[in-house]
Amino acid sequence: MSFQITDIPRILLELMLLLLGLLVLGSDILTRWGRGAQAQAERAREAGQLTAVGLGLVFIVGLVQSRFLFTVPDPTGGPLDILLTLGRNLQAGGPGGSPVLGAFATDEFTMVARLTFIGAALLTSLLAMGYRLTANPGEFYSLLIFSTLGMSIMAAATEFILAYLALELSSISLYVLAGYFRESERSPEAGLKYFLFGSLSSAIFLYGISLTYGFVASENQKAGGTPIIATLFSEVGRFATGDAARSPLLILGMLFVIAGLGYKISVVPFHTWAPDVYQGAPPPVTAFLSTASKAAGFLLLYRLLTTAFPGAVGAPRLEEFSGWTSVLAILALVTLLVGNLAALPQTNARRLLAYSSIGHAGFLLLAMLLWSSTSPVDRTFGTAALIYYLIVYTLANLGSFGVLAVLTKALGGDDLNAMQGLWQRNMLLTLMMTILILSLAGIPPLAGFWAKFFVFMAGYQAGAVPLVTVAVVMTVVSLYYYLRFLKAMWILPAPSTSPISTPPVANAAIIVSTVLVALLGLLPNLIWGTISSAASVAAR
Amino acid sequence: MNLIDLPMNVPWLSLVWLSLVIPTLIIALLKPEQKREIRIVGAVFSFISLALTLLVYLAYDYRSPQQFQFLEEVPWLPELGINYILGVDGVSLPMLLLNGLVIFTGALISWNIEERAREYWALLLLLAAGVYGVFVSLDLFLLFIFYELAVLPMYLLIGIWGSTRKEYGAMKLTLYLMGGSAFIILGLVAVYYSGTLRTFDMRLLAQSALFSRDVQIIFFVPLFLGFAVLAGMFPFHTWSPTGHVAAPTAVSMLHAGVLMKLGSYGCLRVAMWIFPEGANYWLLPIAIAALINAVYGASIAMTQRDFKFMIGYSSVSHMGLTLMGLAAANIIGITGAVLQMFAHGVMTALFFAVVGRMVYDRTHTRQFPELGGLFNVIPFAAIVFIIAGLSSMGMPGLAGFWAEFNIFMGMWQRFPLIAVLAGISIPITAGYILLAVYRVFFGELKNPEFRRLPGLTTPEYVAGAILAAVLIVSGIYPAYLTEPIEASVRPIAEALARAGALGMVGR
Repeated sequence: MSFQITDIPRILLELMLLLLGLLVLGSDILTRWGRGAQAQAERAREAGQLTAVGLGLVFIVGLVQSRFLFTVPDPTGGPLDILLTLGRNLQAGGPGGSPVLGAFATDEFTMVARLTFIGAALLTSLLAMGYRLTANPGEFYSLLIFSTLGMSIMAAATEFILAYLALELSSISLYVLAGYFRESERSPEAGLKYFLFGSLSSAIFLYGISLTYGFVASENQKAGGTPIIATLFSEVGRFATGDAARSPLLILGMLFVIAGLGYKISVVPFHTWAPDVYQGAPPPVTAFLSTASKAAGFLLLYRLLTTAFPGAVGAPRLEEFSGWTSVLAILALVTLLVGNLAALPQTNARRLLAYSSIGHAGFLLLAMLLWSSTSPVDRTFGTAALIYYLIVYTLANLGSFGVLAVLTKALGGDDLNAMQGLWQRNMLLTLMMTILILSLAGIPPLAGFWAKFFVFMAGYQAGAVPLVTVAVVMTVVSLYYYLRFLKAMWILPAPSTSPISTPPVANAAIIVSTVLVALLGLLPNLIWGTISSAASVAAR
Repeated sequence: MNLIDLPMNVPWLSLVWLSLVIPTLIIALLKPEQKREIRIVGAVFSFISLALTLLVYLAYDYRSPQQFQFLEEVPWLPELGINYILGVDGVSLPMLLLNGLVIFTGALISWNIEERAREYWALLLLLAAGVYGVFVSLDLFLLFIFYELAVLPMYLLIGIWGSTRKEYGAMKLTLYLMGGSAFIILGLVAVYYSGTLRTFDMRLLAQSALFSRDVQIIFFVPLFLGFAVLAGMFPFHTWSPTGHVAAPTAVSMLHAGVLMKLGSYGCLRVAMWIFPEGANYWLLPIAIAALINAVYGASIAMTQRDFKFMIGYSSVSHMGLTLMGLAAANIIGITGAVLQMFAHGVMTALFFAVVGRMVYDRTHTRQFPELGGLFNVIPFAAIVFIIAGLSSMGMPGLAGFWAEFNIFMGMWQRFPLIAVLAGISIPITAGYILLAVYRVFFGELKNPEFRRLPGLTTPEYVAGAILAAVLIVSGIYPAYLTEPIEASVRPIAEALARAGALGMVGR
């Protein structure tokens, strides 16, 4: 297994992201900038524009390469031959083949994940441009891109070291981004808190990996071989079958790995950083943090558990430990309860959404339980439910945090009270926020409804009926706090009727996410086919 | 037998629900100040929708062996057996017509909404579009989507334009109903995975061989309860009077008139149709809950001082009779239940139109002690109220009579004791209706100011007259309702009877 020159197109998107990040950073350093406010704003705008255009380009290249929309036909001898040849070569590096160096899977699953992260980063950069941050814009945007790069690798990683490096790359960039507002009171606190929790979790994750190594080495020795250190997920999976899958060493390693990633996906009890960080970080960063970062964590967790620990899958029963699905079932139960109930008394909109996004992690875990079924149809469905939920949740949450970013900038605060009577001040924003919030609440015909329905189906089919019942009840509980948004925006009187204007770039980002949420709700089959094929690859 | 023929290449049923989505979009494009245009668009399109339902009603051939007609099938998410399937039968048609009547008269009654008229009309029409959708869906998943679409606008409609603790009423109503739909979701998932077919097509699901007896008995409960919450079944009824009182008039009309029928319709079409054995197992508890609804609702209505609360509790009582008809689980009982849904829908819409618009918007009070002698001021309101009231008491010659007669007949065959006990609700109903008529319209004029109240407007006259006329026509010639209903209820009742026989053998 060695690196081939033909592997380069398969990691083209990551290379492009790397290049773009360096370009944004470099262009900011190499340009001579004045000190005035005007010059600062211009500098911020240029860094933002470069990022947005670059990410848009990477997204388009990814979309072409993925073959999700179309397959480029053979060159026919016409004037467009150059383009067609280029397209064919690009698509030749598309999904398929065995992992690069065994460590970097380039399947449909990775492709869907990459597109999700790059799309989310693009929307975030638009929100950030609307937010007009002026201090060190080059660093801000390049960190955003590096974080995206880390997430893409996280979703693709099939090897422990690479997974760890990717996790760190995405997290460390985010620590800095979360503490980016040095002057504000809450932002540095958010950055530090996030950093402390994150580094502790990394340590736990690493410890889990080392235990797993130990397990493989000892198993190998028992079998009469030499003790080797296996770093590929699949190698661990090969040893972790039958009785060996119940070895305490392996189970302990697995629990530590889950705990280490638990912070990334903010499931209870690893969630305590989330509300403070979401509330304190710059609003566009919160939008990114709560969506793409969480999605990357879920996808890595999914690939890791299903490839490295398929022998220890167990059954999602709450009353006894039987494998990782029962661990996830318990985590799902407490996450659903704590996330949704703790959201009820919140008065700050961003903090409220932070708890709600903890609740969403609970719903997402339901989808992963279906891996306990042995039928490939079921496993594919569970995986598809997970991916669909992640995409829809990413869109809706990104959009609603985007709205809050606009409001924070315009009103100077993001308490629910500040949103009162918003319909009088900005009708379009109110309508979009309503749609996004209702999608988060799972109201048909919006995409969030399908997503919730799919995970309920997955949980039910996995045999976790009591858990699904709890989840269904929690959707009703969640409706109470989502309706508080509607109440504030539509029913309560406005403190002032002066109009609020939305920066056009931010507006574009919010409109895109709202339209997609509505469109995917009306026509879920638009992406269901693609997701199913990605899922069937991952579920094998 | 059908009276007219319609070209079959037109998607009539899609047109019916789209005829209320289109004006929502048009209204969204108008300026908030163009109130007159907004009202006209709303009224015209709700009339178009009424006309369309009437056409479909007249063109439906209930003697044809094909129960469902005007079928439309479009794949939606076929991988999961979710499709856009529309169709109507003799049970859904009267409901469709009812919704047309109530949304059109409700539109007329809403003529005096000045505050945020644009949002009001958009939400009102969207709500009614969702209701149409539920009645025409044959795919369970689609039905559920329309069902939620019909429930949610209610929150804003009550919260913004309501009165009397509106925010509390709105939140309570929404959470209760969404709690109900949480049960339904659970039922949906169970229906999908417990059968041998992976589909949501109700026509296929209703083949009872699909589900084992245990599955039916267990999962009948969430499905039925979920819908029964919306039907106002005891003990989940408390949202209903609070919500009705808080809601603006047209919304109360739609809500008590049609939306609660979504609940009983769902109980019949979804829960009882798909799980006949489950239904048979639970008939007695349902009948008892319905009995409590009917008698307790009527008794509480008797004690109310607030005119609108009285009507709210009378709805609870009458919905109890509907559920009782369903619990009879025989042709005559279920026919009575469907007839009651129609009759009660029309008469309660009329009640709320009188109470909320004709009386309250003029007098600004709904307390009985402060009202009185209004017959001399607004005689038309008194007359239509009395017509609705007589129908509500079950007076022969009006729609309510046939409904209640059938329900009691059906119940008598199933649980005679409950039928006898439920009979108590009839004199109580007569009592509170007559008392209300006396306290509001007759007697001396309590407040001399009332003498100078403005007279009724044309939209009010038209709306009142239409609803009252429908009550009288259905009372004199009920066959136009009963024959299609009976024809379509027959297969459901037969499946229930078969399941009952099976259950006996099983024991």
